[in-house]
Amino acid sequence: MVKKAVPDWLNSSLWYPPPSSAARPGSSATNAAASSSESDAAPPDHSTETVPVPVPLPPSSAVRAEPPEVEIRDPLSDDSDNGASGSPTSTAEDISRQAQILQELSRKVINMGELRRLASQGIPDGAGIRCTVWKLLLGYLPTDRGLWSSELAKKRSQYKHFKEELLMNPSEITRKLENSTSLENEEPKCETGGVLSRSEISHGEHPLSLGKTSVWNQFFQDTEIIEQIDRDVKRTHPDMHFFSGDSEFAKTNQDALRNILIVFAKLNPGIRYVQGMNEILAPLFYMFRNDPIEEHAAFAEADAFFCFVELLSGFRDHFCQQLDNSVVGIRSTISKLSMLLKQHDEELWRHLEVTTKVNPQFYAFRWITLLLTQEFNFADSLLIWDTLLSDPEGPQETLLRVCCAMLILIRRRLLAGDFTSNLKLLQHYPPTNISHMLYVANKLRSHPAR
Amino acid sequence: MVLVLAIGDLHIPHRAPDLPPKFKSMLVPGKIQHIICTGNLCIKEVHDYLKSLCPSLHITRGEYDEDARYPETKTLTIGQFKLGLCHGHQVVPWGDLDSLAMLQRQLDVDILVSGHTHQFKAYKHEGGVVINPGSATGAYSSITYDVNPSFVLMDIDGLRVVVYVYELIDGEVKVDKIDFKKTATAATH
Repeated sequence: MVKKAVPDWLNSSLWYPPPSSAARPGSSATNAAASSSESDAAPPDHSTETVPVPVPLPPSSAVRAEPPEVEIRDPLSDDSDNGASGSPTSTAEDISRQAQILQELSRKVINMGELRRLASQGIPDGAGIRCTVWKLLLGYLPTDRGLWSSELAKKRSQYKHFKEELLMNPSEITRKLENSTSLENEEPKCETGGVLSRSEISHGEHPLSLGKTSVWNQFFQDTEIIEQIDRDVKRTHPDMHFFSGDSEFAKTNQDALRNILIVFAKLNPGIRYVQGMNEILAPLFYMFRNDPIEEHAAFAEADAFFCFVELLSGFRDHFCQQLDNSVVGIRSTISKLSMLLKQHDEELWRHLEVTTKVNPQFYAFRWITLLLTQEFNFADSLLIWDTLLSDPEGPQETLLRVCCAMLILIRRRLLAGDFTSNLKLLQHYPPTNISHMLYVANKLRSHPAR
Repeated sequence: MVLVLAIGDLHIPHRAPDLPPKFKSMLVPGKIQHIICTGNLCIKEVHDYLKSLCPSLHITRGEYDEDARYPETKTLTIGQFKLGLCHGHQVVPWGDLDSLAMLQRQLDVDILVSGHTHQFKAYKHEGGVVINPGSATGAYSSITYDVNPSFVLMDIDGLRVVVYVYELIDGEVKVDKIDFKKTATAATH
């Protein structure tokens, strides 16, 4: 078997984040900052450089060309380092980027291409910038600033309308129908005695109706979905006070999530609700609810609904079971990932799929359908989403590149492992330097196939 | 929105073999929150069947019930309404509004559900409402042979009750509805 040589560029130490030696300036500060618990309602700290790769990167990195560490750091901080607030070298970078984004946002007509370029390097945490940028990237806000308030008002009232229409139970619906048809029947029963008058029911609108068009029947059929949504909402991010726990705050947030998912399920009878949609919704709602601008935070539910619809529109087919085996379904996407890996790192691909027979469905399914929210901690997944949403190639392509980067980054461990250990590793992806990973993903794009 | 099924006088197996199939197809578990049964089921199998429709089952004793442990009368509160339950053979004259009103005042309830006459009736008087769900199997009564199978489903929503009457007439299910509101002042006795 001819061993295909690993391409040179893959061998360079650029791929491997510097080992966790004390030579990294500012990393201790970032480590401290990074462990801030997520239970604060305040937006999470950047935890990009939190845990330097703990992996047994054999010190045989000495074998390869070993540029001094400083050299490796610089490309990172230039390209995709978001600069945790503690690190001295990146603060200036961070501020300048924040200023650039703010400047872009304050234009009358926003240049989406420019915004995408800035956003793909990571969006700083402060001043609700991320909320606005995500809303723009998802097409919720138009590029013309002047139209923002009217668009927002329109969309928010539309959502309110949806809620009123779709979240009513059948008693209320029938009452509303009656009230509109018989306005003079205010108090027909003020007779003090006697037989109560009966009115005939038309078109089978009674609670036990089995008719397909009956409001009641639909209601009972929806109850099953609503129960499923309920269960999933309660299980979303159990470690975050924002989402779970007994506080009033958590309960209102859960209610909002539930409402959004129910409205979505009712408006999309083809796809309804599938487990996992709550995980995609959670970061959106979290961001919007924590918007420092009071007015926006109050309407977080409506905003999150529309952005959720938009975000899901690219990935809808992954959730439809009938499409599993089709060209647009999840299996096809997973095989695209497989091909991408083969294209960039054939040795790893062969080892994974042929030698150790780790079927990509075992790990990539969750990576792809849940947009990597379950593989990393909350703060990191926000960063990844910055890149996913801002890339002009579109979230699907970008997601595949990021997944491929994830595989390449741990290639040494994968190559050394067998089925069990590899599967375990991939299903519990080790904490890693996110900005580095995004950098690698970016490089995968510009590199021609070998 | 609480759905309460009022049903009774089935007389299975003595006078009728089973519920009409059209009724049975409509009564599925998962939709109804409470069942109140006037009595005269008469056997345990019917009790089990009703229990499978809804775990919250309330029964009073009819004169032919085989289980002697059912109470003579029962009261329960659902939402804003107090409901009273009694088979009705104890109230003489059978089916008489004034006597039933007396029982209603004794039990101090807004809605009294009683049976025995196997005829659907819904009366209102100043004390409240009296509902007779009739016989769900159409079994003959002590008074007449001409009985249409019927039962009642109440939708209790705040201060308002919508009563859906299901009757089997000439082999077809006919559904009627009755609306009434409880005035807030009536609540304060």
